[in-house]
Order: sequence, then C-alpha cells, then structure tokens
Amino acid sequence: MTDIPLTAAPSAGLSAFPRRGAAALALVLAALVAVPVAVGNPFIYHVFITICVFAALSTAWNIVGGYAGQLSLGHGIFYGLGAYCGMLLVGAGISPWIGMVAGAALAMLVALAISYPCFRLHGPFFSLATIAFLEVFRVLALHFRDLTGGATGLMIPLKFGWAWMVFRDRWPPLAIAFGLLLLTLAVAWWMRTHRIGFYLVATRERESAARAAGVPTVGTRLVAVAVSGALTAMVGTFHAMYLTFIEPAAVFSLTLSIQIAMFALIGGLGTVFGPLLGAVLLVPITELARGWLGAKALGLHGLVYGLVLVLVVLFLPNGLMGLVSRFTRAGAGTRGVQAGTVAAAPRAAERRPLGEAVIRVEGLQKRFGGLHVTNDVGFTLREGEILGLIGPNGAGKTTVFNMISGFLKPDAGSVSVRAPDGTWHSPGRPADFAALGVGRTFQIVQPFAAMTVEENIMVGAFYRHRDVREAREVARETAERMGLAPWLGSEARGLTIGGLKRLEVARVMAMRPRVLLLDEVMAGINQTDVRRAIDLMLSIRDTGVSIIAIEHVMQAVMALSDRVIVLSSGQIIAQGSPQDVVRDAAVIEAYLGKEFVHAHA
Amino acid sequence: MDVFLQVLANGVMLGGLFAIVSVGLTLIFGIVKVVNFAHGEFLMVGMYLTYLAVSGLGLHPFAAVILVVPVLFLLGALTQRFLIQPLLAAGDHHIQIFATVGLSTVLINLALLVFGADIANTPPSGLRQPLQIGPVRVLLGQVVILGTAILLVAGLQTFLARTRTGRAIRAVAQNRAAAELMGIDVNRIYALTFGIGAACVGVAAVLIAPLYPTSPNSGTYFVLIAFVVVVLGGLGSIRGAFVGAILIGLIDSVTGFYVGADMREVAVFGVFLAILILKPSGLFGRQLRLSHVSP
Amino acid sequence: MLTLERVDAGYGATSILHAVSLDVRAGEVVTIVGANGAGKTTTLRTIAGLVKPTRGRILFEDEDVTRLSGHEMVERGVTLIPEGRQLFPEMTVRENLLMGAYRRAARGRQAETLAEVLDLFPRVRERLDQNAGSLSGGEQQMVAIARGMMARPKLLMFDEPSLGLAPIVVAQVFAVVDRIVKTGATVLIVEQNVFHTLQVADRGYVLENGEVVLADASAALLDNDHVRRAYLGI
Repeated sequence: MTDIPLTAAPSAGLSAFPRRGAAALALVLAALVAVPVAVGNPFIYHVFITICVFAALSTAWNIVGGYAGQLSLGHGIFYGLGAYCGMLLVGAGISPWIGMVAGAALAMLVALAISYPCFRLHGPFFSLATIAFLEVFRVLALHFRDLTGGATGLMIPLKFGWAWMVFRDRWPPLAIAFGLLLLTLAVAWWMRTHRIGFYLVATRERESAARAAGVPTVGTRLVAVAVSGALTAMVGTFHAMYLTFIEPAAVFSLTLSIQIAMFALIGGLGTVFGPLLGAVLLVPITELARGWLGAKALGLHGLVYGLVLVLVVLFLPNGLMGLVSRFTRAGAGTRGVQAGTVAAAPRAAERRPLGEAVIRVEGLQKRFGGLHVTNDVGFTLREGEILGLIGPNGAGKTTVFNMISGFLKPDAGSVSVRAPDGTWHSPGRPADFAALGVGRTFQIVQPFAAMTVEENIMVGAFYRHRDVREAREVARETAERMGLAPWLGSEARGLTIGGLKRLEVARVMAMRPRVLLLDEVMAGINQTDVRRAIDLMLSIRDTGVSIIAIEHVMQAVMALSDRVIVLSSGQIIAQGSPQDVVRDAAVIEAYLGKEFVHAHA
Repeated sequence: MDVFLQVLANGVMLGGLFAIVSVGLTLIFGIVKVVNFAHGEFLMVGMYLTYLAVSGLGLHPFAAVILVVPVLFLLGALTQRFLIQPLLAAGDHHIQIFATVGLSTVLINLALLVFGADIANTPPSGLRQPLQIGPVRVLLGQVVILGTAILLVAGLQTFLARTRTGRAIRAVAQNRAAAELMGIDVNRIYALTFGIGAACVGVAAVLIAPLYPTSPNSGTYFVLIAFVVVVLGGLGSIRGAFVGAILIGLIDSVTGFYVGADMREVAVFGVFLAILILKPSGLFGRQLRLSHVSP
Repeated sequence: MLTLERVDAGYGATSILHAVSLDVRAGEVVTIVGANGAGKTTTLRTIAGLVKPTRGRILFEDEDVTRLSGHEMVERGVTLIPEGRQLFPEMTVRENLLMGAYRRAARGRQAETLAEVLDLFPRVRERLDQNAGSLSGGEQQMVAIARGMMARPKLLMFDEPSLGLAPIVVAQVFAVVDRIVKTGATVLIVEQNVFHTLQVADRGYVLENGEVVLADASAALLDNDHVRRAYLGI
C-alpha cells in the first residue's frame, strides 16, 4: 500500500501531508487488511469490507462534491448503474470484471449527460436536481422489470471463483474491496495534486476568476464528474457481487447517496483522505449496531449518523481532517500588518516605441434594462501602450472591461484582438480572450479564498505550464516580483485588501499575458506603495505588455498613461494625453469637478 | 368524459394537498434563503403528533391543530435559531444543505426508534367520506385540504402585505443588510419565519394524517413533490407555489391514469428537471440570482 | 455624543481598522476622508453595529455600545444611510419609508415624520406608490435618505451618497445633505467628493490603511498639503 508516493508532495495546503500524516495513513490502511485477517471472524471481515466499500464510494464522491464543490445527492445513480451492469452481464454469462468496466463506461456517459445541464445550477439546486435524477432512475428501474427484475430485484447465480467475483473464502472480497479503495484514493490524490485539482478548487471558490485565469471550468468539472461516476460504478459492481442481491430501492437510494456524501463531510470535504477517515469511524457503528442489537436497534445507527452530521456541521465545518490539521499544523499563516514591499524592478534604460495595434474596439453598445450603460465606445490599444480609463463611478468602465474580456456580450459593436502571428480574431468567451493573451483583474477582488497565495498564483501559471513544479516555480517568481513572497504559504483570505489587489495582478501576470486589463488595482494601496506600483506597471510595460487600467488614483493615471480615455454615462467624452484630458472642460464637469481646476490654479 | 373530469378533479385535489405541504417550504426559502431538506420530516412529525392526539387522546383531527401547530412552530423556530443561524454567517450552501439533511436523518431515525417501521393509521374521523359534486366524487378530507390551502395562501399573503411584521419579513428577504439598518432584528424575523413555515406544515399534517398512512418515511415522498412544486412556482413565491401545486397535481393524475401509475413520478420529476435547467426562476418567480458575489 | 476608542475591526480574518479613535459631538457635522479601501465604510458599519470590533470601545451617549448589533443601534438613535442605496426593491416607496420608521421611538410619530420628510423631498412624494426598484438612481438615493430620516435619528451617517450618480444628480443630493445639515442634525459623512464635504463639515478625519493619520477642522484640512495632494489631486 506504500505505492502511493505520499512523501513526494512538498508544499503547503493542497498537498501538505507531513511525514507523520503519511505514517498514520499507512497505519490505517494496513489495519483495514490486518485486523480482519488476524481476527478471522466472518462478521469482522464483513465490517471491514463494508468500510472499504464506503470509503471508496465516499472518496469518489468527494472528487465532485468536495473538490468541485458540486454537492451531488444522486451518486446512487452511478452505484446502481455499476451494480445492474455487473448483475445483468453475469446473468448473460459474462464475468463481472467485464461488467465492472462496462458499468464504469456507462456511468461515465450518464454522468456527462446529467451534469452538463446541471452545472448551471448552484448549491442546493444542484443537489435537488441530482435527487430528481436519482428518483427518475429508481422509478425507471422499477418500471422496466423485464430487464431489472423490478421490485423483486436480481439475484446472482452462485458461480464461485475469481472470474465470477464470488467466493467461499472471506479474504478475496476484502482484497478486491481494498484494491478498489486504493485505486480510488490514488486517483483522488493524483487529481488533487495536479493541475486539474487546482482548477477544480479554483472553480469552486470563484468561478469568474477561474475563467479569467483561463480555466476551462465546464470541461474540468465534466472530467471530475466522469471520473467520480466511473469509480463509483466500479465499486457498485463489486458490492452487488458481494451482496449477491440487488433491488432498485436499495441501489438507486437517496439514503445511500446521502450516506456517501455524509462520510466525506464528516471526514473533511475536499480533502483527499477525509472520506476514508469518515468511513473508518462511522461504518462500524452501523454494522455493529446491526450485528449486536438486530431489529431492536432499528433507526439507532441512522440517528447516530444524523447527530454526528449535525454536530460536525455546527462545530467542525472542516470535518475531522480539519481537526487533525489544526493539531498538526503549526501557525502557518502570517497575520498582522502587511505593508508588503513591492520589489523595485530594474527598468530598461530606454523605452521601446509603441508597436502595432493589439486590441481594436469598435462601436460597443450595452443596455441593462432600459439603461444605456455603454454607448458607442471605440478605441485602439497599441503594443507596449498604457491606456488609462477614467470616469465617475457608474460611468460604465467595468462594463467595458467585461466586454473586452468575454464576461459580457456586447449588444452591438466588436472587439478584435491581434494574435502573436499577426492575424485578427474576434474572441467570444473568457477562455478565448485568455488564449489570445488577454488577462484581467477584478475590481472586487476575487481570491480563491481556501487556497494559499502560492496556489492562487499557480492557477494562473498553469495556463502556460501544465507541470506542477514548473507552475510553482513561476508562481514563486511572480510573487517575488509583486512583493507577495512572504505570504506564499498563507491562505489568501488572510491578506489585507492591498495584498489581495496585488494577488489579483500576480495571478494574471503568471499567465504571461500580452494585454493586461487592470481594474482599480491602486485602490487601497498606501501612498508610498502607489509610487512602487507605478514603477512595477512601467516595468511590466517595458517587457512588451500592453495595459488598460481603470484607475481613480489620479497620481497614477497621470504618471502611467500614454493616453487617457474618459467615460461618462457610458460614452467617451474625451481622450488624449493625460495633460490634455485634465484640462478638458467636459472632463472637469463630469469627473474631476471644478474644485480640481481651482486647486490646480 | 366523466372519467376525464374525475381525473381532473383528482388532480386538483392532489394539487391542494401538494400546495398545503409546499407553502411553508417556499416561505422559508423565500425569506431565510435556506432550502430546508428536513421539511418533509417536519410533516412526518406533525402526522405522528396528530396520530397520537387522535388515537391516544381521542381528539378530533381538527382539534389536534391546537397541539400540533404550536409544537411545529417551536420546532421550526428552534431549528432556525440553533441549526441554521450559526451557519448563515458562513454563507456556505454546502454546510446548510448538510445541516438540514442531517436534521432530516435524525428525525426519520428517531421516529423509527420510537414508533418502529410499522405504519400508523390515524382514525379518519369522517374525513374519508365521499362527496358527490356534479359528475365527480371526491373525499371530504380532500376538499377540506384544498379549502385550507387556499385560506392559508390568502392569509399569508395578507399578513405579509398588510402588517408591520409582515412588511419586516419582506424587507429582510429583499435586503437583509438594509433591514438591519431599519432596526429590524433579522435573526428574530428569521426564527419567526421558520416557525411560521413549520406551523404551515403542521396544519398540513393534521389534515393529511387521517387520509394517508403515517410512517417514518412519510415525509420523504411529500417533500420531493414539494420541492418540485416550489421550484415550478418560483422559489419563494407563495402564490406561485399554489399554482405549481395544482399543475403538478394535474400532471400526476393525468399521467397516472393515461400512462401508468408507476410513471407518475417520472413525469413529475421530468417537468421538475426541465424547469430547473431551462428556467430556474420558475414559472412565476423573477430571475433569481442563484449565485452572487457578496461584497 | 459618539466616541470610538482605539477600535480594531474587519471581516473574518481580514483586519481593516487599526486603533481608530474619533468622536462626534452633538450638532456637529464630521467627515471621514480616505482612499477606496482605506476603511471609511467599515468605520461607519462598525459604528452602526454591522461589524463587530475586535478591540477597542465605542460609546454612544455615555453608554458602551461596542457589542450591540445593528438593530439595537438603530433603537438607540444611530441610523446609517448605506452606500449604494439599499432600498427594498419590491416594495413601494411608501412602504420603504414606513420601514424607515420601524424604530420604536419613531413608530408613534410615523405620519407626522412622513409629512415632514415629504416636504423636504417633493420628488419622493410623486413616487410614493411606485416600486422602489423602478426608480432612477438619483430618485433611489433621495428615497434612501428620506428613509433614513424617517427613523428620527440622533446621529445620521451617510456613506457615499453621491456614489454612481450623474453629476447633475450629485448636485441635487448635496443640496439635500446641506439642507439636513442646516437643520442642526448630527451627521457623520463619508463621501468621495472630498472638496465638497470638507466645505460642509465642521471637522474631518483622514483615514489611510485603516488608521487615522490626520484629524483637524475642515478648513485646516483643505489647506493641508498631504490632503491636497492625495485627495484633491493637486
């Protein structure tokens, strides 16, 4: 069981698993096999096989429910598909091992078909939809009784041996269950520590920020749900063979689906080994209650489950793993004042001349309700240019940003981006913009709160580097440059607003963009750091990146911009050099105020 | 033709039943913004209480209201105060879902422990008496349920529109932060709303128990339909829930008669999924922001 | 009337205010100046009881109100007119105003206050039976201010009343604020148009990164080099 290279996971957070933890895990896994073999009691065998089955189911569920944060209460569907596939093929004289593969493939297809429309739903609505699908499957299984045996269920013909997955001995089913558990854990661990895991968590935390970072949010989650469904189905096939009997009410079961999810939550949602922990601790309660008290204990184990669940929800929202890590991890987060110095970047001695146009915006129109928030906005951004976008609050600056990064579709007009090869494109979705090298930040910062600073930046770095080690390297470099190095290991939610603003920029910079859209990144930075931030922007520009910056800090606007565009009530009311614009009568009227001029004079 | 009318009448009666179960659920969702997965178990608890009051104390089901409704109000208010309120600050849907799922698991299994898996039949007390209305036959109890559902919907609407407390409840639903700024004790309003929602399902329980068998799983069937109804009607819309309930009742009845009794749920859940995926705001709800970024 | 003593506050683990001390005397108009994200809104929300201080004390009329929640502060006479208007969109303007008078001390005189407030806001009177959500931004801001006054507060706090409004409307909003100030009300105001508010206010505090870096009479702040450079863009 030591074939899972746990100790090879360095870094904090996602993959933090200290040596002691690895030893504890190895111990738990070893005990799952050693205890029943040592005791030799059939009942104990049964309890441990059941633990392995539920730990595997729960671990598979966690890929969707925990990593992706899509709380499925319909995993009984996949379990049932695996079970029925195995049963029906055995009935036709085909080995359940083949049934297992067929079930997994079928579950994968069903998972994709169900999830694609459902991913538009969030929180409880997704859960409700999965419950509804589960009910439909259950009713259909009852209805097509010629195939499924209907309410009477299906029984396997007793053919013993490895080929039929039915045994007289107790140890072979334990070996298979344990093997499935290891497989599931290995898959879950692999996903969590590779790009897809980062992508899933990022999408869960902030979908829009993930999309801006070039994460294919839908595709990633579809992969997760397909893998989760396939693994669940495989366990389902085995469990059906082990129980030798299935019926629709027992497999397409809401109670079962809730239980699977429950172990994961109790153990620790989104952690690799939490579901295992949850199952190890809770399954024995059910089985022992059933074994010792029989019918008298009807409802007792369920009551215990429910109470434990409620207590965990109230007092241990991060589950048992949260409790474990609270004791094992020393205060990793650095709190307090985060003055955070932005590294003074060495500047190129001479500025490169402005290049060709990289973005062309023509005749943009956008209405919300009756309100005309963008009215015929057009401009061009050239290579290596910094374009300042100013105007009163509500002038429609962020709306323009949303349209030139794919987050909003303009009602009319066009946005074209020139690719590195010189061809012009009209991208539509955020992913298309990202592919052309357009990166953006958000005015209201959107950190992936549960991830560390390093992991936040890595999400951006993954855009160009699939490999975790390379992405981490890029993230560290970027953090260094943005003055975030001291907080690499702290959770993003602990940063101050100024730190979060810098994290926004760092995440985009890690994508190595050609065009940078900055939405009020100076806001909340203290005066001395504004100067440093200006230098940083200039050094970014000197590397050939073009920048459009929405900014209120006039000091920065004046110092940075090659050109300034002033928006008011959705229209461009002035554009030109910063010096000309601040003298423009319309600009003074709409934005700067007469006081600005008085004060100037 | 008469058969068709009878099928329609059955559908409307069933709709009344669904409506009375759903009103509380939609109220709680609309105001507290929590999907209460334990709603069905509240109903089940109410049905057992009715069973005890009617067969134990010999009360008429209508008299059992005095017992059942306050107990459920309390159950609801306490659930909000001690289970949901601590989680609201976290703003995490996952945790809220598990909280009410956990509560539902506790209540079902508690009922199993106390009453066993056997079915408890509340004496019908005359409510199973058939009524002949024109060409169709319905049960007296069904008519009472439909009538009560209408009264409940109208009563709640009036309460929310006309009274100071009702306005405060609406204010909390529309803008929680602003409501606090008006001097409204938001947590009190939430507990009150949860209590009223649970009390509504108490009324439903009293009327349903004499007509349907009571078991620990009674709630599960009704609550799934109630979710369908509430989503169809537009989450949080009380009038929408009523119309949605009647529609689902009709779909259920028509499918059951013309397609097959075992396909009713497929039809109902098919409609549910279609609405959820194509028009999540429901037939009457405004566009809900299902996910929103809090500042 | 109101005193903050070295108050720390923030959201979750994010700490925003650091040892903020300020006071407002009865009948005074005080403004808080600072960049976006400096903690101005957080200061107002902390006073209003919506954000709990992690350290320090808040006194209102000699009572320690540090731990009180939002609705309890309203009962004591502190009303915040929040940033971004925050009306009840599905209620009529009249209902919105009545919600403003939810405070017990204001309920009895509801009709009287409504008449007074409507005299101050003739435009609001015309819109009484419309849904608040259907009003324009400027009208909504007027309703928000009127709703705040319905509580007959002892201390009225404004958070960015001109935010997101067209320049013309901004002028109207300022006119209303000026009128309220002239009635002798005690006002604490946060506003991005620093120049205007400093002319209306008696005193001002300058907030940077959650700390008070400067406190002085308005006239002195208008002459202060740092303020001129950082906030007046001079």
